Order: sequence, then structure tokens, then C-alpha cells
Amino acid sequence: MIIRHAARAGRRALAQNPSQLWRRFLSTQTDSFETSAENSFKQLHSLEGQFNATAPIQDAVPSFDPETATSNPLSAQVTESVAEQYHRFKQQQAHIGKIGSDISPHYQPHTLLNNPPAPADVTLELLLASEAHQGHATSLWNPANARYIHGIRQGVHIISLEATAAHLRRAAKVVKEVAKRGGLVLFVGTREGQDRAVARASELAKGYHLFERWIPGSITNGQQILGKCLTKVVNEKDEEIPGFEEQLYDRPVLRPDLVVCLNPLENYVLLHECALNNIPTIGVIDTNADPTWVTYPIPANDDSLRCIQVIAGVLGRAGEAGQKERLTLAENGQVTYRPAENLQLPEALQDKEKAVAAVEEDSELNLDKSLEDADELEDKLDQARNHEIGDHEARGIKKID
Amino acid sequence: MVRGELSRSIWSATEGLFSGARPQCTRTMRLPYRSLQPAARFISTTPSRSAEITSENPELTPDSFTAAPEFEFDMEGEGESEVKVMRNVDKGKSNNQLLRTLRVVPASRSYFSAKPTFNDDFIHVSALLRSVATLPTIPNSEAPRVAWKTVDQYRIMTNEPVKTQRFHRMMHLVKRLNCVHPSLMPEHVRTAMRRFMKDSQPGDIVPVPQVVDEWGRARGVGRRKTSSAVVWLVEGEGEVLVNGKSLSQFFGRLHHRESAVWALKATQRLDKYNMFGLVQGGGSTGQAEALTLAVAKALMVHEPALKPALRRAGCVTRDPRKVERKKTGHIKARKMPTWVKR
Repeated sequence: MIIRHAARAGRRALAQNPSQLWRRFLSTQTDSFETSAENSFKQLHSLEGQFNATAPIQDAVPSFDPETATSNPLSAQVTESVAEQYHRFKQQQAHIGKIGSDISPHYQPHTLLNNPPAPADVTLELLLASEAHQGHATSLWNPANARYIHGIRQGVHIISLEATAAHLRRAAKVVKEVAKRGGLVLFVGTREGQDRAVARASELAKGYHLFERWIPGSITNGQQILGKCLTKVVNEKDEEIPGFEEQLYDRPVLRPDLVVCLNPLENYVLLHECALNNIPTIGVIDTNADPTWVTYPIPANDDSLRCIQVIAGVLGRAGEAGQKERLTLAENGQVTYRPAENLQLPEALQDKEKAVAAVEEDSELNLDKSLEDADELEDKLDQARNHEIGDHEARGIKKID
Repeated sequence: MVRGELSRSIWSATEGLFSGARPQCTRTMRLPYRSLQPAARFISTTPSRSAEITSENPELTPDSFTAAPEFEFDMEGEGESEVKVMRNVDKGKSNNQLLRTLRVVPASRSYFSAKPTFNDDFIHVSALLRSVATLPTIPNSEAPRVAWKTVDQYRIMTNEPVKTQRFHRMMHLVKRLNCVHPSLMPEHVRTAMRRFMKDSQPGDIVPVPQVVDEWGRARGVGRRKTSSAVVWLVEGEGEVLVNGKSLSQFFGRLHHRESAVWALKATQRLDKYNMFGLVQGGGSTGQAEALTLAVAKALMVHEPALKPALRRAGCVTRDPRKVERKKTGHIKARKMPTWVKR
């Protein structure tokens, strides 16, 4: 076997030109290098040809011609503007970007913001990967957190991830129910880098965000601090109803119905104000924080942005689910919240309401008489609208008179 | 006396031990103290909040108390029975119907930051920058020149107490947006940036090019210190009139006479143009040098090619220096009182 192999190799070696073989090692000439370069260009051309044949024709990859490129490189640069170059680059990226081996699933930082996990997706693996278990050095601990602590590793407290997951799910349920009942959920994360997570969570939950300093007294002295900020009146489907501006001017400022605080250590004043006003709070409690500051603690690492993004994302998703439920209930004519008190309907809206009510009564009567023709109903509605317009006109004329 | 009481009580106690149950009258009223004492014994210090969601079950009488149902955490539509259901049944009271669906919410997501407009702007700008971050850029020095709003102008626009540092952090992002290559700049980014620009931009005001009128006159206006001069130049033999007087009559000093016609002298056009000037305000130096600038401008209308020569002669640039104001605590603009020991 071995002999046969050796014989074959020897035959092949003899078949090649021995002088050429040895010259490669001995000579100092560069012609062999040039030939190899030419070969590589040929290979490149053939690859491109193959690629153009498989790719859609309208944007074939332009082939690279070394001779023209070397002869007048300046002209090529001048003729091609930056925009053209960029679009070419994008085209090539679209073609070539997928070529290559598949990369196993890995951490992509933007996914936690673009597509945050839902409460159902919370797993111990996710929490561990996002470093939710890392506490602080044992000397810094707050003994009230003893029940959330799994153990000590290298002088650092390790938070029990089971407790984290359980508390996170409970907090998610709270956020969801508050959102479902039309409450104002305020997400607060005032540390550097938490702003995107906070803004994203509030966007999902249709809540409110705060990533700058909490101005002390925004709840207890709200009229002075938030008095200038605008409010609006919405109906159960979250559509804005205009015409209430003058009444809104005199109303007291709004307070959040639930506060989610991602860094309770820096926001003691906020939590204290919430406690004074019976506003429930959710907070990420590290091993050095006091869990009694918040109503619903989530024991987790508040120094890791990744962990904060996971927690904010989960709570945002929970709020999103709650809002969705509320809107589906609103579609069925159910209002899940207590309406605003002391609002008077503006006159313009009152007239409209009356007209609509009249039309609806008419249509109901018609329905009772088993006139279920859709066209007729539409005609009736049109008539009613015309009446309305006529009324308005008549009133306008009277005013002029 | 005391001993007698003690012995009597001991006697009655021993008697009670041996005797049977004494006849008692049946109680007509059970536990009277309940009705006599007030129901609430704990007074809350906080204002009472009425329940957000109330359920009214008329059949539930106080006699039939039952334990609360168990929590069912997996149930999806949990608590739906508690939710006050309001159906649009009564159409006669449609006004109330609409009012019953309304609630007041903040107009902006940044309501609780007390600077809603600024924070919304910041979020908008950072989102825009994220969307165009991969586009090719040009260096800041080559970016289009823009006069950005100052903090104070922005504060006036938004009517919010914006912190200077925060504002500059946002403007840093806006300036980065401005560095996107102009040929690839999306239109919405351009419109978004307009919010942070001043109303008037450098290069907006283009001066109207002056022309020689039908009588062959070119007009030029010049200023210096507090004087201002208007000059008409016509082609001629070198006659000069300033406020109706000849140059030697109007200016006593030789230097002033020379500087008034310096633009013509430096370009050797003194004998080719007639000059008529009106000058007012200031002193003789200011008037003479105001005339210089006016003559130079009028000359450039006749012969635009002379501009480099005039610039070299120092006739094109307006001298912006003015008398500096006097300050309090100073004798003049900058002079301090003499230091006196004690």
C-alpha cells in the first residue's frame, strides 16, 4: 500500500518539468509571482462570472479590470460620486453579506432594545446571561436583602435568580394590570446609558419616561413644577378630543399611577414622594439597596445596563399587553378606568352629540320597523348630517342678525 | 372594718363553690356595646381614596359573608368581573356617555421631566442620528455652515428651563447630523435640523449689485466712527465737492483732504472722475474716512476690477472701531482712579 502510494507520487513528480520545479526555489526572478497574480485574477473573474450568472441581472457586480484601473485611477474616482460609491457598496453588501458560514446565536446588544423579551420569555438563563445575579461586595450589603441572596462568591453576594424571576413576573403583572386600567406608568432610569431602555419601555407600554434628574416636588408640589406642561383629553380608544383646552388650564397637574424605578439608590426623593401619595412603586433592588423603599422590589443587579435593559423591556412588554387588552375592551364598548371628574363638554361637541344621538334613535326606530336596508340607513344618516349643517348655518345667520 | 369585709367575702366565695348555678335572667340584647361604640376605631391620617373599580352586587347582603376567592394567577382575563363595564345602552344621555369615556393624560411622554419639548427633541434627534449613523460623512470643517440657535433662543422657543449642558449634548448630535454627506442627506433629516437653526443664516442676505444710473452716476455709502457719507461719482475732470464746498474749503488738514480722495489717488483715477459727496455726523477725521469708503464703493461700481487694488490701499473694509463706553469705577473707558494710600 505504502509502496504503491510512493510510486504514484514519484510518477507525478517525474511528469512535471523538474527544471521548472527547482527554478522556483533557486531563481530571484519575479516572473513566477506575476504568473500567480494573473492566475488569481483569472480565478476572480471566473468567480464573478459565476456570481453574475446566479445573481439577478439588473444589478450585476461590476468586474474589476486591473489594466484600466491602473491606467487612469484618477478619472474613475472623479466620475464616481460619493453617493454612487455608497449605493454600490450597499448593493454589494446585500449580495455578499450572506456569504460565509452561519454564526451560532450570539449576543447582539441592540436586540434587547429593538425586540425586548416578554414576561413569558424570562428564563434563568436569560437573567444569568445578563448578569442579573451579581450583587455587591458583602460588606456593602443591606441585611434586608438576605432573603433574595443565594450565596457569596469571591466576596460578592450572588442574588438568587429564582427570586429575581418570580419578582420580575409579579412586577410585570402589576404593570400590565395598571396599563389595562388606564393608569399612567412612569419609567425612571436616571443613570448614564439607561435612557434608551427607559424610552423604549415607555414607548411600548404607552407610559411616560424620565431619564434626567427627578425634580424634587414634582408630585408633592406638582402645580409649581409641572404646571406649564401640556395635557390632553382622550377617549377610551386613545383618540384625542379637542375643545377642552380652557378647562385643562385650570385642572390640577397629573400624577403617575405606577412608578418603575430602575435605580432606586439615586431616586430616594422620588420614591419617598410616591410613598407619601400612595403611588405604588417597582424598583430594581441590588444587594446594597433598601427593599422597603419600593412597593414591589425586583432583586437584581442595577449596575449592569444589559440587566436593566432586560428588566425594562419585560416591564414594557407587560405594559404593551395591558394596553392591548384595554383597547380590545374599548372596541367592545367597555371602559376600564374611572373617567375624569369635573369635565364639561364644549358646546361644539354637545351639538354634534345631540345630532348623532338623534340619528341613532332614528336608525333604531327604522330597525324596529324591520327596515334593515343599508342604503336607506345611509341615506338617513346623510339627511341627519345635512340637518345638522343646516342647523349650524341657521344659528350662524341668527348670530349675524 | 377591713378585716370584716375580707372574712365576708371569703365566706361568700366558699358558699359559691358549693352552691349550684344561680338562676339568671335571659339577655334580651346581645352584646350591646357593638351598637353603642362607633364602628371605625382606627382613624386614618391619609385622605381616603374611593376604590377605583367598584362592583355592585345587590344580592350580597352583609349576613352572607364569604371568603374572598383564591387568586388565580394564570387566568388571562382575571379581574374582568371587577372592571366596571359601561355599555352604551342609554343613548338619550349621550353627553354623559361621552364624558364617561374621557380621561386626562399628558400630551407628551416626557411630561414628568418638566421639560417635555426638550426631551422629545432629544429623543427625536438621537433616533435620527441612529438611522443615518452609517452614511458617509464629511469633516466638520467642510460641512455646510449653519448658525445654530443659542441656548437662550432655544429656551425662548420652548419656554422651558433647559440646562445648558443638556442642550449642548443635544446640539452635539445635531452637528453630527449636519456632517452627513450632503449628496446622501435624507430630506426628513434636513427638515428636522431646521428646528435648531437660527431664523437668518449666513449668506441669506445677498447685497443688491449697484449699477451706474442713466446720468452716469455711481452711488456709494461709507461710514466711519459716527459719520456717514454718500458719494456720487461721474466720469469727468477731477472736480470734488463735499457738502457744496471744495475739498480744501471743507477739510482744513492736508491729511484729511488726502484721505477723502485716497481711493481715487491710490488707483490714479483722480483726474478721471468728478465727485459729489454729502457727509454728516462726527468729526473731521471720521467724515474724511467715511468719504474714503464711500468713494471706493462708488468707484467699484464703475470699475469692479479695481477691487484688489482698493483692498490693498485699505479702502474696502469698514473700520468697525467706535468710542468705547465709559465704565463705572473708571475715570474714562479703562482709566482707573489714582491709587491713594489710605
